[in-house]
Amino acid sequence: MEQKEARPSFLKKRSKRLLFPGRFLHALAVLFGVSLATFLVAHATGDPVDLLVSPSATLAVRAQMRSTLGLDRPLMEQYLLFLSHALHGDFGQSFIYHQSVTTLVLARLGPTLILAGSAFAIALAVSLPLGVLAAARGGWAAGALQLFSMLGLAIPSFWLGLMLVLLFAVNLRLLPVDGYGTFSHLILPALTLSLQSIARLSRLVASGMRGALQSDYVRTARAKGLLEGRVVWVHALRNVLVPVVTMAGLELGDLLSSAVVVEVVFAWPGIGRLAVTALGERDFPLLQGTVFIAGFGFVMINAGADALCARLDPRLNVRTRA
Amino acid sequence: MRLPFTRGARSLSGLIGALLLAAVLACAIGAPRIAPYRPTQIDLRQRLLPPAWEPTGSTRHLLGTDNVGRDMLSRIVWGARISLSVGLAASLLGAMAGSTLGLCAGFFGGPTDSIISWLIDVQLAFPFTLFAIFLLAVFGGGFLPVVFVLALATWVNYARIVRSQAQSLRAQDFVTAARAIGVGAPRILRRYILPAVLPSIVVVASFSAAQAILTEAALSFLGVGVDPTIPSWGAMVNLGRNYLQGAWWMATFPGIAIAITVLAANLLGDWLGARLDPRGR
Amino acid sequence: MHNAQSLTRRAFAGSILALAAAGMDAPASPIVIASDEDVTTLDPHLIRNNHPIGSIIWSIFDSLVRRAPDGTHEPRLALSWAQPTPQTWRFQLRRNVRFHNGEAFDAHAVVESFERMNRPPFNGESQLWQQTNLRSVAAIDDFTVELATEGPAVTMLYWLEEAFIAPPAYLRETPAADIGARPIGSGPYRFVEWQQGEHVTLAASPDYWGGAPVIANVMFRAVPEQSSRLNELRAGSVDLVPGLDPDSAANAASAISRLAQVPGLRKMHMGFSQHGIAPLRDRRVRQALNHAVDVGTMIETLQRNMATPLKSVLNPPNADPALPQFAYNPARAAALLREAGQEGFAVQIAFDSKYADSQETCEVVAAYLGDAGLDAHVVAYESGHFAETLRARTFPGLYFYGFGALIEKLVELVIFTSDAVDNASGYHNPAFDSLVKTAAVTTDEPARDALLKQAERLVWLDCPWLYLWHLPELYGISRRLQYAPRPDEYVEIYRARLVA
Repeated sequence: MEQKEARPSFLKKRSKRLLFPGRFLHALAVLFGVSLATFLVAHATGDPVDLLVSPSATLAVRAQMRSTLGLDRPLMEQYLLFLSHALHGDFGQSFIYHQSVTTLVLARLGPTLILAGSAFAIALAVSLPLGVLAAARGGWAAGALQLFSMLGLAIPSFWLGLMLVLLFAVNLRLLPVDGYGTFSHLILPALTLSLQSIARLSRLVASGMRGALQSDYVRTARAKGLLEGRVVWVHALRNVLVPVVTMAGLELGDLLSSAVVVEVVFAWPGIGRLAVTALGERDFPLLQGTVFIAGFGFVMINAGADALCARLDPRLNVRTRA
Repeated sequence: MRLPFTRGARSLSGLIGALLLAAVLACAIGAPRIAPYRPTQIDLRQRLLPPAWEPTGSTRHLLGTDNVGRDMLSRIVWGARISLSVGLAASLLGAMAGSTLGLCAGFFGGPTDSIISWLIDVQLAFPFTLFAIFLLAVFGGGFLPVVFVLALATWVNYARIVRSQAQSLRAQDFVTAARAIGVGAPRILRRYILPAVLPSIVVVASFSAAQAILTEAALSFLGVGVDPTIPSWGAMVNLGRNYLQGAWWMATFPGIAIAITVLAANLLGDWLGARLDPRGR
Repeated sequence: MHNAQSLTRRAFAGSILALAAAGMDAPASPIVIASDEDVTTLDPHLIRNNHPIGSIIWSIFDSLVRRAPDGTHEPRLALSWAQPTPQTWRFQLRRNVRFHNGEAFDAHAVVESFERMNRPPFNGESQLWQQTNLRSVAAIDDFTVELATEGPAVTMLYWLEEAFIAPPAYLRETPAADIGARPIGSGPYRFVEWQQGEHVTLAASPDYWGGAPVIANVMFRAVPEQSSRLNELRAGSVDLVPGLDPDSAANAASAISRLAQVPGLRKMHMGFSQHGIAPLRDRRVRQALNHAVDVGTMIETLQRNMATPLKSVLNPPNADPALPQFAYNPARAAALLREAGQEGFAVQIAFDSKYADSQETCEVVAAYLGDAGLDAHVVAYESGHFAETLRARTFPGLYFYGFGALIEKLVELVIFTSDAVDNASGYHNPAFDSLVKTAAVTTDEPARDALLKQAERLVWLDCPWLYLWHLPELYGISRRLQYAPRPDEYVEIYRARLVA
């Protein structure tokens, strides 16, 4: 449910201020920030041991945790210790499951990616035709899209999920209420998650198409006598792809964020639900590990999307700080 | 990215947004007078009553009752207090923090800008809901932590817009002239830059309030809300989840309330954006 | 790592198979029992809940005796028993019993398992040694076991019910984690597999001494949401759903499923913490609060008349019918509070957030206490924290809990003694303690019963709890299954049959 900013220009979205090696350093800097944030939150209340040790732990276990964390050393050293543990994939043990946090998180990563990926695929599949139609027909169609899009962004995803369950699972009994494992389990969660992306992407496609349809390039194609259908779907659409891909990385990120709530509603065994379970049971090591790994993964995805954009549109490479 | 809405249509939608928001505000402020019952008033013998238009419903409870007989309509009216107060407080805090940081970054440039931009990027690097859960796990629920977390969610929106505007303003003649005379930076910021960016801040505020309300609803749905004793729309949906099969109204109406409020804020923001910044972006 | 394609492929294949299976009569398709969570371990000496862990352990393992649903004891691995002296118990063991891995069952196996229960961490969950003051277990000969206790242990049979016996060599040679992951016992079912987080599968043991159970394959599946469990029951993919609540019970009935109900034994109550706020230490306040809450209306509405009110701290049929009841009487409540000089104090009501309907019960009680002039507020505790606070007895006010789903007078009363591990309220009454301790060593039955009756009355009037009701046992059962539920939540699937 992150609306990243008010009314974004897709080009202004990223501070594309650096060339490739700079992009790499930039990602590194962000990763550093992510790790710092994850580390500091634990120390925000003063004594992290209370958070990182099971409530029933003995004094001996507490003392051991204290030395593992290096709590008697300066903060900087503690951070480096934390970082080195993290980079080795050691986030400690979960209180609830008595397993290594890393194992738990990595096991749940797959379902979350399936969910987010499916939602994104649905969003693309729906937004492209919707946006194209709205742009091509204009007038009432554009207004309808605008309205639909606003509604889509206003509806809370957890509520939408429950309403879909009410309709399709409880009343019509067509689909399972929740769970994981078959294709029919994926339908409702993916649909729910995709709505906000459809709302954003379809508007993006529509505005991009409008601009493209009025461009000289398209006018020339029409003048050459090409079929309208071909003009619209092949030539104009091509221009829309770059902004869509630019948005893709960000959308995936928004999806991962909204997936937390959708996973809870549908009992989907992903990292979002894992984090909420950890929250409910005050399993801090699990929560910290999940946030760190998710943050890391997210930065990677964004960096990948950045690189893809740069390849698709060389103009983006030379933008200075803006 | 705005599609060509006729000015009339946008004005109409803006008006609708304003009216809806006013209605929600009225509910929040006038809850004691508007709501037919107290939100915590339990009436066991009236539990799980469907809305009035259903055959077993009653006009004494227009939207039905929940699992312990509390009136749904009253709870939704009272719930507006939480959503609006949290939304406004978070928006205000986010606006202050974000605008200040954005101004500094855009105006001063250099290392200040680097650090603040880095902060922005780090913030955007996190799937926010996860980080919000993380923070609230440490600080617990409650009004202040939730407002702080929501402000954290929205400050970036302000910072980016203000930063880019401040940057372009910085290069303008009147600023250069002021600096030449020796006017101090704080004064320049306050007297010249801030008023110029204020319209954008207002627009962003509307959208950020919407975002904050949505996020607050999600957080209370997940159980880390503001106050478990006062009904919050998100918490009401969570409660209704257990009764989806037998009492669909418990989850449905609070969600509609959330959607209406968020939609209203977005419509208003759209209209404000068009009015205050006709160039569009 | 899964991917969407394999999901689709599997779904496709699965649906073809399902179609094929539906066409055939498939007696080997498992009976599926749903529960709200997966098991955490299948170690027989670490049973943490009645269902699903208890149910599965009872299927895979055997103990010396087993309690029937009405509280009497039936011989299992022990054929007969006697008490040569008050401090000794002698059990004659069943012969020709083999564990699932081929090891022979004999007295040495019993000794091995019992001594394991006395070692950490098992002695944290298994209470045999502590509760019976067991001193030693010895094999007199291959099929006779002698238990020696410090003093007379009248509840020995009760505590032996869950003293499960595992193959001795297997216990010795296997690391503890593996024992919990691959249990081997001598019971009616063999362990087949445990897919963590998903299900546990069992298969009937053909050479079980009691005869192979009728149901050949059983699966205990974890389905977190109750609405899902019910949906699957109605769809036919789940055959047994225990632990329904009154609000959703009606949904259990369909063309292929029905609702089964037995009066339950779990005593739901609000404990009055004695180590929290001062007013709760005054007996008059506790009695006042019992009068302040209209339990009858709560049963009628929240429990849809499916629960029975708590009339004693003992479960029927042992409850004393002559005990005075604390009827809903706000005037009396106010008078008592005034008399005690405790009006309008603030009190917290805690509940375990894992149980969805706990919140509504607590909110209703808070509303009644509010009517009585108190400032009551409800607080959700996460499961781990709730369990911790329960054990440490440090709740500040009231806590919502359900306890004692069993029929055994002494055991039900022992939990109120000052040093009992499960005395979560911290109730402390030396007179009560001495009554119970004396009764525990009184071998003459009528004398013991008299003492226990006295103790029952004493604690009842002292109100360590705000008495609510017996939790109804509501099961959704597929119509192809013939099974009578137990009132204590254990699912004994080996007693089930298929409807002809």
